[in-house]
Amino acid sequence: MDISLFFQQLLNGLSIGSVYAIFALGYTLVYSILGIINLAHGAIFTLGAYFTYALMGGTFGFNGLLANLTLPLQLPFAISLIIGSSLAGLVGVAMERVAFLPLRRQGSDPLLTVVSSLGVAVVIVNLIQYLVGAESYTYPANTFGNLPPAINFGTVEKPIPIRTVQILIFVVSMVIVAILTYFINRTKYGKAMQAIAEDATTASLLGINSDRFIVLTFFISSFLAGLAGTLVASSVSIAGPYFGIAFGLRGLAVIVLGGLGSIPGAVLGGLLIGLVEAFVPAEYSGYKDAVAFGILFIMLLVRPQGLLGRRFVQKV
Amino acid sequence: MAEFFSTYGSLIVSMVLGALLGLSLYLPLMTGQLSLASPGFYALGGYIAAILSTKVFTSSSNLFPLHLLLLEMLIAGLVSGILGLLVGIPALRLRGIYLAIATIAFVEVLRVLSLNLEITGGAVGIFGIPQPFQTQIEYLWIALPLLLISMILFYRLERVRVGRAFTAIREDELAAGAMGINPTYYKVLAFTLGAILAGIVGAISAHFLNTWNARQGTFDASIIYLTFVLIGGSRTFLGSVVGGMVFTALPEVLRGIADSGLFPSWLGWLAQFLRDGRLIIFGLLIVIGTIFFPQGLVTPDIFKMGKVKK
Repeated sequence: MDISLFFQQLLNGLSIGSVYAIFALGYTLVYSILGIINLAHGAIFTLGAYFTYALMGGTFGFNGLLANLTLPLQLPFAISLIIGSSLAGLVGVAMERVAFLPLRRQGSDPLLTVVSSLGVAVVIVNLIQYLVGAESYTYPANTFGNLPPAINFGTVEKPIPIRTVQILIFVVSMVIVAILTYFINRTKYGKAMQAIAEDATTASLLGINSDRFIVLTFFISSFLAGLAGTLVASSVSIAGPYFGIAFGLRGLAVIVLGGLGSIPGAVLGGLLIGLVEAFVPAEYSGYKDAVAFGILFIMLLVRPQGLLGRRFVQKV
Repeated sequence: MAEFFSTYGSLIVSMVLGALLGLSLYLPLMTGQLSLASPGFYALGGYIAAILSTKVFTSSSNLFPLHLLLLEMLIAGLVSGILGLLVGIPALRLRGIYLAIATIAFVEVLRVLSLNLEITGGAVGIFGIPQPFQTQIEYLWIALPLLLISMILFYRLERVRVGRAFTAIREDELAAGAMGINPTYYKVLAFTLGAILAGIVGAISAHFLNTWNARQGTFDASIIYLTFVLIGGSRTFLGSVVGGMVFTALPEVLRGIADSGLFPSWLGWLAQFLRDGRLIIFGLLIVIGTIFFPQGLVTPDIFKMGKVKK
C-alpha cells in the first residue's frame, strides 16, 4: 500500500471511527445508568439527521404525508446541527417518559425495557417513512458554505486529498468527546451521574434525585445520537428511514469492544472499529459490514467485559 | 370456501410458520436465555433447501417431489443443529444482554456471508424454487403437522425432567446448578433444539416463498420473532404459538379493515393510516404490551382460573 493511500485510509478510519465513538457514547451512558441497551438509539440517529435537514431548508421528497414541504426558515448548518440534535434529545426524553419510566416504576426485568425500546424504534422508523417517504436525501448544497471540497495534505506531486467534511466530522467529534469527559469527571452533575451508575439506591439516600439525572442522561444520549446522525448524513446522503439501523448495530459492537458502560472504552472501540473497517482490502469490501460483528463475536468469547470494562462479578 | 383459501391461503400458512418460529425462539428462553439467533438458522435452512432443490435435486416432474422436501427439512435441521451446537457451546457462557448481542452478531455475520458468497446468489438470492404443491394453502399439509407435533412435544417437554431443568435454570441458574443440574448442558440443548426447529421452518419457507435472499435473516426479523414470544407470552409455549399467529396476521388484518370500505370518506385518513401505518401500530403494541402485559398475553395463570374457584 503506498503512503498516500495509507494516509487517506487512516483519516477515513479516524473520521468514521470518531462518529462511531460519539454515537456509542450515548449508548454507553444509558447503559451505565440504567443497565439497559436502548435499541431505539439508531432510530434517534436517523431522526437527528432529518431534523437538521429540515432546519437547513431541505425539501421532503415526493412520497409521504409531508411531500414537497419546506420549512419557512433556512438556518446555517452549524445552528441547524445544534437545534436538530437538541430536538433529537427531546425525543429521547419523551421516549424515556413514555416507554421506560413505567417499566422502571414496576421494577420490571431490564430485558423487557430492551423490548420496549425496540417498539419505540419500530414506531420512529415507520413514522419517518410514513411522513417523509422512504427515498434518500442530499443535504442542501450550501452545507459547508465556501469551504473547499478537499484539502491536500501531501505535496503537489504526491497529493493526499482528504475531504473537508471528514476533517470537520473528526474535529467536531473529538471536541464533543472532550466536553463530555470534562462534564462527567469534573462537574457536580457528572459526578452525580457516576454515583447513580455505581449504586442508584445509595445515591438517592445521599440526596441525589436519580429521576432528574435519568432524564438528563437520555437528553445527552439522544443529543449525541442526533449529532452523529447529522454528521454521517452530511458525509453521505441520508439513506431513508432505515439509515440508522445498521449504525445502531455497529454501535453495539463498539460499546462491547470497549467495555459496556465505559466512556473511554466507547471512544477507543469506535476509533478501532473505524480504522479496521477502513483497512479492509478493496477486493473484500463486501465483507466490510461483517468486520465489526466478527470482532464483537470473538471479543465476547475471549474477554466479555471488553477492552476497558471492569470484570463483572456475579452476585449471589 | 375455495375462494377463501385462495385469498387467505398464503396468510394462513404464514401464521402457522410464524407460530413455529415463535417456538424456536421460545426454546432458549425456557432456560432464561434471550437468544436472537433464530433468523440466522431460519435463513440457513432456507438456503439449504433453495440450493438443494434448484441445483442438486433437479427433477423433471411438474411438482417437486414431497419426499425430497422432507429430506431437505431433515438436512436443514441437521446442519442448523450442528451449527447451533458449535455456536452455542462458547456463546452460552454469556448471560443476559451479552448473549443477545452475541447472537445479533452471529445473525449479521451470516447475513453478510450470504450476501457475498456465490452459492447463495449474492444480493439477488435464489429464485424459482420449485413448488411441491399446486396452491399455497396446501403447504398446510407440511406446516400444520409440524406445528401439531411440536406443540405436543412442547406440552410434554414442560412436564418431564428436561423441561423442569430448563425452568429451574430460568428461575435461578445458581440454585439449579447446586441441585445437580448442569446448566451449560441444558442451555446448549435448548439453544440447539431451537436452531433445529428454525432450520426446518426455513426449508419449508424457501419453497413457500419461491425465492430466498439475505433479507430473510436480518435484525428486523429477530425483533419480530422476539415480539411473537414476549407479547404472546413467554411463560408457556402456547404464548409463542398464539403470538406468532396473531402478529403475523395483524398487519394483514389492519389492511383488510382499512380496505373494507367501512370508513366514511371523512375518516379516509384513518383508513389510510391503517393501511400504510401498520408497522407504527405494531411498534406501539410492543411498547404497550411490555408495560401492561409483562408476562405476555397468554400466561399459565389463564389455565388455572377455573381451578381457583373450587
